[in-house]
Amino acid sequence: MGTTKIIIDPVTRVEGHGKVTIKLDENGVVSDAFLHIVEFRGFEKFIQGHPYWEAPVLVQRLCGICPVSHHLAAAKAIDQLVGVDPEDLSPTATKLRKLLHFGQVFQSHALHFFYLASPDLLFGINAPAEKRNVVAVAAENRELAKKGILMRKFGQEIIKALAGKKIHGILAVPGGVHKTFKAEERAYFLDGMLIPNVDTMIAWSKEMIDFIKTYYLENAAWLDNFAAYPSNHLSLVRKGTGAFELYDGRLRSVDSEGNELLNIADVDYRDHFKEAVEPWSYLKFPYMAKYGRENGWNRVGPLARLNTCAYMGTPLAEKERQIFKEYTNNKPNNMTMHTHWARLIELLYSAEAMKEFLLDDTLMNNDLVRKGTPRQKGIGIIEAPRGTLIHEYHTDEKGLITKCNLIVSTTHNNEAMNRGVREVANNILNNKPEITEPMLNQIEIAIRAYDPCLSCATHALGEMPLIVQLEDCYGNIIDEKIR
Amino acid sequence: MKKLDNTLVIGIGNNARHDDGLGWVFLDLLEKEGFKTNNLLYKYQLMVEDAELISTFKTVIFIDACKSEIKDGFSFERIYPSEEVSFSTHSVPPNQILNLCETLYAKKPKAHLLKIKGFNWDIGIGLSKQAKTNLKNAFSYFIENHFR
Repeated sequence: MGTTKIIIDPVTRVEGHGKVTIKLDENGVVSDAFLHIVEFRGFEKFIQGHPYWEAPVLVQRLCGICPVSHHLAAAKAIDQLVGVDPEDLSPTATKLRKLLHFGQVFQSHALHFFYLASPDLLFGINAPAEKRNVVAVAAENRELAKKGILMRKFGQEIIKALAGKKIHGILAVPGGVHKTFKAEERAYFLDGMLIPNVDTMIAWSKEMIDFIKTYYLENAAWLDNFAAYPSNHLSLVRKGTGAFELYDGRLRSVDSEGNELLNIADVDYRDHFKEAVEPWSYLKFPYMAKYGRENGWNRVGPLARLNTCAYMGTPLAEKERQIFKEYTNNKPNNMTMHTHWARLIELLYSAEAMKEFLLDDTLMNNDLVRKGTPRQKGIGIIEAPRGTLIHEYHTDEKGLITKCNLIVSTTHNNEAMNRGVREVANNILNNKPEITEPMLNQIEIAIRAYDPCLSCATHALGEMPLIVQLEDCYGNIIDEKIR
Repeated sequence: MKKLDNTLVIGIGNNARHDDGLGWVFLDLLEKEGFKTNNLLYKYQLMVEDAELISTFKTVIFIDACKSEIKDGFSFERIYPSEEVSFSTHSVPPNQILNLCETLYAKKPKAHLLKIKGFNWDIGIGLSKQAKTNLKNAFSYFIENHFR
């Protein structure tokens, strides 16, 4: 039996470098599909030998998109190396770190929605390639594009105020933070004099949710079914209450029906997870050991977080979560494209949470750093914009890093993205006489729903030409498109 | 203090990847020459919101390392808004930023791109010997032709 391979290389409008291969048999039926990750940066090796206190700075070099997430995950791990557990951090330090994190999630989700997802949603999956991009969004929806820029800017300014720089700044130090929040810095985000204020961010976030709810109702047929499949869902949830949590909590996993599979202290993750490798990808495949490679994989990110949490701690986001849950009769939502809806609910949550912290006077306190008895192992887990992010460090007696393990959000979603590719390939490519550009775009849309950051996942920076290759069963390239 | 009136100089790159840091080192040299640091911007990549930023300047100069061969090891060229589409809004080319700036803010800053040929893109700090030579020549040209 011969096969034909269609290769999309690299995936467009995702961060980093990926390649999709779809194998067709001689009858034109999809026999298999893979998302390959083709570069490797080796950051875990690179960081060995460095003093532990450099880790929160160095790991930010993994990514120019979500460096704050790496900074905070590393910081939580490094806290433990100086003997400080999350509950021992000063309240001010915890709140400042959380505010930084909310700023990061807000700007990242705004970027994804306005500039990565909206071209597909506004123009449709059958629109020509030259139409499905941010320039076309800007040309046809100037106000939407401007709002997107200002929302992203607001989150970036929060990061800059706390960390000193928009990218790769420093707030966290071992056992706390190095600066407090000044009154004039706070006023910048509240008074609306120089930039739209936090209330405007909340209002615009709500506007976006209203837009997407209407859009989903009008397009339910494809959004409910496109690349949809049952899966487990994993995220942090708040200790004690099970509430939505982005910074610190317990790891909870539920299956596609809502049955709890896991509920553990985050630092115990090693006892419950394994990582599989495949020869065709540098990206590992994490899974829950108890349930095995086939059944133990999870989705992470906005959709998963809304499936695992008991409620959200801000009023408007909680109301929207309830509407979101009603759509699936309070069962977990396994519809991949609903990730965009979930992401906007998190956008609103982040805006509300930023306001709550901006109005909190204790952010200006000076109790910033705590100390404890040094240890030689630290594990930091947070919910990055794209999902659960794990940093683990081991040091020698001099404080030099001897071992590092990073599991980034996109790695958790590796199996999920591969399933998505297969689902779409099976639905749209079987027995079709021609592989059209919109068909290939649908594969990419399935991957983009996860907002994968492949440069994080592979610890590499990618380049972005698009090459589409068609190979016959002997490996000969019979068609190639570059755009 | 030397002036960069209404001019923004953006160095693009990552100094943790050897010669990818050429744009940043160029900014370091400008700072050592006494240019105002608030007109110098270090970036890992250009992002869509940079369209708003550059709309407030009359002139913008992008400086980036490049892999392709260039005569003399560097080139300095005028660039214009382009409708060319990039495939990642996580990293947007300069001419698309100019296009977004014009589309969204009706501003057309005069723009130049300084490309400097690099050689080593592995993880690590410090420029290769050849990159240092190209940097020195590019910097001399830049100062000689634009600030003397």
